Amino acid sequence: MSVLGAFCVSVNREVCLNAQMPGKCATCADVCPHGVYALDASTGQMNIQNYNACVGCRICAEFCPADAIRINPAESEYISRYPWTLSAVEEIHYRAQTGNYLLRGFGTTGPTPNFDMITVVPSQIASEAPRDKYREECDMSVVIGEDTCENPMVLKLPFVWPAMSFGALSKEAKMSLAIAAAMTGIATNTGEGGVVPEESYYSHGYLDPEETQREWNPGGYLVIQWSTGRWGVSADYLNAGDAVEVKIGQGAKPGMGGHLLGAKVTQEVARVRGIPVGSDALSPCRYYDVQGLDDMKHMVSFIRDVTAYKYPILFKLGPSRPYADVAACIEAGADAISIDGLSGGTGCSPDVVTQGVGIPTIACLPPAVQALKDYGVHHKVKLIALGGIRNGLEAFKALAMGADAVGYGSAAEVALGCRVCYACDKGNCPYGITSQREDMRARLDPFEGGKRLANFIKACAEEVKILTMLSGHSNTRELSTEDLRAMDYNTAALTGLKLAGYDRPLPIWEEAQRSNGKGNGHKN
Amino acid sequence: MTFIDAKTRDLKTVNKEIKESVNGVSVVIKDAAHLHGLAAGLKEGEILIEGEAGDYLAVLNAGATIETRGNVGKYLADNMNSGTVIISGNTQYGAGMYTYGGTLVIHGNAGDFTATMNKGATIIVAGDVGDEAATYMLAGDFVVVGNAGSNFANFLIRGNVYIGGEWQSLGHNTRVEPMSDEDLKKLQGYFKTYAIDADAEKFKKIVAASLKPFYH
Repeated sequence: MSVLGAFCVSVNREVCLNAQMPGKCATCADVCPHGVYALDASTGQMNIQNYNACVGCRICAEFCPADAIRINPAESEYISRYPWTLSAVEEIHYRAQTGNYLLRGFGTTGPTPNFDMITVVPSQIASEAPRDKYREECDMSVVIGEDTCENPMVLKLPFVWPAMSFGALSKEAKMSLAIAAAMTGIATNTGEGGVVPEESYYSHGYLDPEETQREWNPGGYLVIQWSTGRWGVSADYLNAGDAVEVKIGQGAKPGMGGHLLGAKVTQEVARVRGIPVGSDALSPCRYYDVQGLDDMKHMVSFIRDVTAYKYPILFKLGPSRPYADVAACIEAGADAISIDGLSGGTGCSPDVVTQGVGIPTIACLPPAVQALKDYGVHHKVKLIALGGIRNGLEAFKALAMGADAVGYGSAAEVALGCRVCYACDKGNCPYGITSQREDMRARLDPFEGGKRLANFIKACAEEVKILTMLSGHSNTRELSTEDLRAMDYNTAALTGLKLAGYDRPLPIWEEAQRSNGKGNGHKN
Repeated sequence: MTFIDAKTRDLKTVNKEIKESVNGVSVVIKDAAHLHGLAAGLKEGEILIEGEAGDYLAVLNAGATIETRGNVGKYLADNMNSGTVIISGNTQYGAGMYTYGGTLVIHGNAGDFTATMNKGATIIVAGDVGDEAATYMLAGDFVVVGNAGSNFANFLIRGNVYIGGEWQSLGHNTRVEPMSDEDLKKLQGYFKTYAIDADAEKFKKIVAASLKPFYH
């Protein structure tokens, strides 16, 4: 892992409970996901046995009852030793010793092109005047499946919870997401692991399956995922929600399936997924029952048929060839297309794939939008941007680049309490988010978690609203690339946004515009 | 009995008519070879298809009995959860994929990747199957009366695979096990119920070699 050895752990022994009373406290060893601390069984003394394993998540510092732990970054290593940093060296040793490739959870680390070098252009005198955030309205709603189905999804805010499966996440985390969706009027997603019973009525704002006891307003939606493993899928499952999402790929491991280890297939996970307890739940990397675009079209038509033409059909793509992939989804009959960027998260993935595979989110959006425009369906077939989006500012930038909505996956886990320790794959999440262990799950109260997530969404919505109104718009659908400027050459080259100062797109984009009338490298 | 002529009609209208007609009466459908996803997700009913049928026939079947007199396309009874599907002719690639329950009987031959990721259905092929049959099967019974192609039962996870003929090659994580009396009785029962001429005594049984084969 690229953060290995990047942190110094120090324990103030004057206040450490274990140092004062050996054997009486082992909290740090209990909560550390990476074995930095070890309790000496004979003396009861706590030792820091492996400084280098620290990833800087600071879970130990949060749990330490005496506030005795400080974690400080050791950044100089990256200046003096790069590229032969301790982590690079240790990773080679690990491969040499075990013959295994590196596995880890969460998402991409290190510098990849992102939204940071894009700035928002406010409104002054030459453009539409700014609007008053405090006294004027801003419409942020998004309708999915308006013209194609009986029950379109009307999101109150341009946000969704992306697909995260029960199995990868705990039941409590899934419930929290559903409650937050109901509290803010957005959509949550089952992921590929079947539907947790509470999800279906919590997401609509009800406490009971019959949907009589209203608890949360305005009420949200549940997106049912149809994926390559088809866990727990039946005609009833497809009708248990308000939309169906056909998963093609995901940002953290595009081109790979999913793999839930047999050890994590507990009785409850097995029941929801419809498979034997303890058996590996292996999601293939492709649909065995689709051999081409024609088959995919037929699949969309029978899903529409089984759901009585009521619900919208969404597609989820990993970051590969956004223009051609989005075009294929449009041809297959999608009502909305989620495109997940390089920085998308995962419960477990080979390090080489999380780190080294896929197109950055900011570079996925322009070709995806171009494909929608070429088919004449931009803002009709909705585009949902995913992949490492962390706040309202980044959401605004994605919306202005042409997306209709934005998903917060990793950010949702963090909003639930996660401190990013990269150990989702181990199943021992100290916050009960990615664990199936009873003792860990007990730490996550779904009602409290739901509130935190709803607060996060509300805050991000306010941030998007501020930015929308100061750039002279009264709804998020009016946003365009004119509201953004790239602040460095690379970002301008990847996105086609105007370069700040130069105030025009880079010549390569203008040249493409002249040669094929589209402004990017794609020819039709 | 209701007759539905599917000729020149689309999936939406034909499937809607099937759903409205199945209340207690059997439905006969003809000229439906151009429809992919015929009789999708039906909870009840008896349906007879005359002539050929297209791809994804009886997909997501949830309790209906569907029979065809003729050949059918790819992905037959895909993701079936319960019910019975009986085909008198041949089927192509990927019959009985992702099935959770119910029974699929193919009196002719089946193609590659038959019964892939079967999670609990009973799938019986009276003829031969192609390559990679029963890949990643997780539960249920898969019976092949004829021969199988290469990589038979590749990466078998759980469930029972029975074969009367020969395989070209056996897939990963497979083990040939002796037939028990129970297995014999079960197969004889299947053959009697679905009028298949086969001698259960000559069958071989294949199960998963290891219960956790995929990670180190």
